[in-house]
Amino acid sequence: MVKDIYVNIDEKISSVKFFVDEEYCHLKIKSEEVCLNCERKPCLSFCPAGVYRLDSNGKILINYQACLECGSCRVGCPFNNILWDYPRGGFGLNYKFG
Amino acid sequence: MEELKFDVVIVGGGPAGLSCGITLAKAGIRALLIERGRFCGAKNLFGGVVYTKSVKELVPEFPNVEPSPVERPVTEEGYYIVSSEGLVKLLHRKKDPHEAFTATRARFDSFLAEYALKLGLEIAPKTKVLDLLKEGQRIKGVIVDRPRAFGDPRPTEIPANIVVIAEGVNRVLTEKAGLIGRPFGAEDVALAVKEIIQLPKGALEARLGLAEGQGLAVEIIGDITACLPGTGFIYTNRNHLSFGLGLFLSNLRESAFKPYELLERAKNHPHLRELFKDGEILEYGAHLIPEWGLEGLPRLYGDGVLVVGDSAGLVNPLFREGTNLAIYSGIMAGKTIIEAFEKGDFSSRTLKAYEAQLRESFIYQDLITLKKLKKHLFTNIHLFKTYPELLYDTISLFFSAQGRPKREVMREIFELIRKKRGFLGIVGDLIKVGRALW
Ligand SMILES: Cc1cc2nc3c(=O)[nH]c(=O)nc-3n(C[C@H](O)[C@H](O)[C@H](O)COP(=O)(O)OP(=O)(O)OC[C@H]3O[C@@H](n4cnc5c(N)ncnc54)[C@H](O)[C@@H]3O)c2cc1C
Ligand code: SF4
Ligand code: SF4
Repeated sequence: MVKDIYVNIDEKISSVKFFVDEEYCHLKIKSEEVCLNCERKPCLSFCPAGVYRLDSNGKILINYQACLECGSCRVGCPFNNILWDYPRGGFGLNYKFG
Repeated sequence: MEELKFDVVIVGGGPAGLSCGITLAKAGIRALLIERGRFCGAKNLFGGVVYTKSVKELVPEFPNVEPSPVERPVTEEGYYIVSSEGLVKLLHRKKDPHEAFTATRARFDSFLAEYALKLGLEIAPKTKVLDLLKEGQRIKGVIVDRPRAFGDPRPTEIPANIVVIAEGVNRVLTEKAGLIGRPFGAEDVALAVKEIIQLPKGALEARLGLAEGQGLAVEIIGDITACLPGTGFIYTNRNHLSFGLGLFLSNLRESAFKPYELLERAKNHPHLRELFKDGEILEYGAHLIPEWGLEGLPRLYGDGVLVVGDSAGLVNPLFREGTNLAIYSGIMAGKTIIEAFEKGDFSSRTLKAYEAQLRESFIYQDLITLKKLKKHLFTNIHLFKTYPELLYDTISLFFSAQGRPKREVMREIFELIRKKRGFLGIVGDLIKVGRALW
């Protein structure tokens, strides 16, 4: 957390246009157990779209619909525990400016 | 899709893939460019600035094209060096205002795609390449995520004599082609977050001292990144600003900062806040920048395959070059392919000419320079913290010296430098940078 700064990431993400693929979630956790044992859970902070969240049981939730397809979590998860893919062709992020 | 066969399949419709496609189309080679976005540019984000000389290699009439694919000419460029205390601006009025233009990628890439289509390049948007067709080590085409036929959901195979991988920084297929030594890690990439910010009418010009038809490209160093290794940037578009931050993913991960919180902090920096006042965010976005440089350079060719642009890691972050290197590498790959068709040989024996060309070009020379420079710059915390502070404090002292003996002021300045970094430290840093550059 950056001191004294609060950002509503969902609001920020709403400025981006997506064609959400309801049938295919392109991001998956390989092993939930690895996440439970991952102490710092950096995916919760470095993902620029706030895709990774914690539920009340400490389980990682993936809000793949907001993914900016940057690839950070593919290499940023210290345990290589994310099965990463792009959405199917034509789906996902659709920049107007970029 | 019906049974298809192309001379060449290009994966990815960014500047690298499109440049290769344009080069091939001009030579009458039947190429198919496959892009996963709904159009070329839909997935792409940069700062950013495009360079006229490189674009002209593809589109000789650029920038005189209608409708214009770019935003403003870069008439002024330079650095803002920010410390918590203040801001030093180092700007330079460019001799040739048409050397570079600000742009956004959705528009710029789709312009290149339109141009390529007219020349006869075939483009399949909304299509993702899943894998490569292989025969032993030889690449024989691609597999895409489109059903083979109505009622046959198996993915379509598209054979080709040569596959050009222009997939950008996330080099999944380059890895599948067996061309990389080791996958890159968080320390080999920078994550950039960016906003397109619309200011109240007239404010962009007034706040940045620009007239119509003038544009600014600024890199920001120092407290803007909360002193993490990285930079910020401001580019003026016609009616809005591009503002963003680029940070090494490994440092960002260590810091536990959220990138969008750092961006917000940057926008609220006491010395930049006024610029963004009453701005409206038109679009937010993020993208990686390859920073693996020479060490992470993949093999650029194999039997039936070539790698161009960001997939190879051809960027120069210090000089904000990327699209131009993507374009030049795409053209070089295209020329090599034309030769391969003349010879009728698509093996690495012929295709290695591409790597040889690249090695002779400034692109490779710069990768070597950058390799040495990076070690000193990006790992040198002084660059992002001590120097910006020192520069501001020194200049402040200098300009507030009225009514005091100047010798005393100079002594104070020297004392400041000695305390913050020490003369030997500075000389050492300079020598290191100098050695890398010469
Ligand atoms: C924040 C930022 C600022 C930058 N600023 C500048 C600047 O000011 N000036 C400059 O010159 N450069 C700049 N760059 C660098 C520049 O953007 C890149 O070097 C350049 O875009 C590389 O072009 P490319 O064609 O290799 O890759 P990309 O532009 O990334 O294109 C790759 C394409 O491949 C597609 N693709 C990927 N995988 C598949 C698949 N499996 N199937 C189908 N399609 C696929 C993608 O959708 C994409 O369209 C900047 C980069 C960033 C991130
Ligand atoms: S960083 Fe990786 S292992 Fe840790 S919580 Fe996130 S996904 Fe799980
Ligand atoms: S690809 Fe980028 S935006 Fe998408 S989930 Fe991973 S880190 Fe977040």
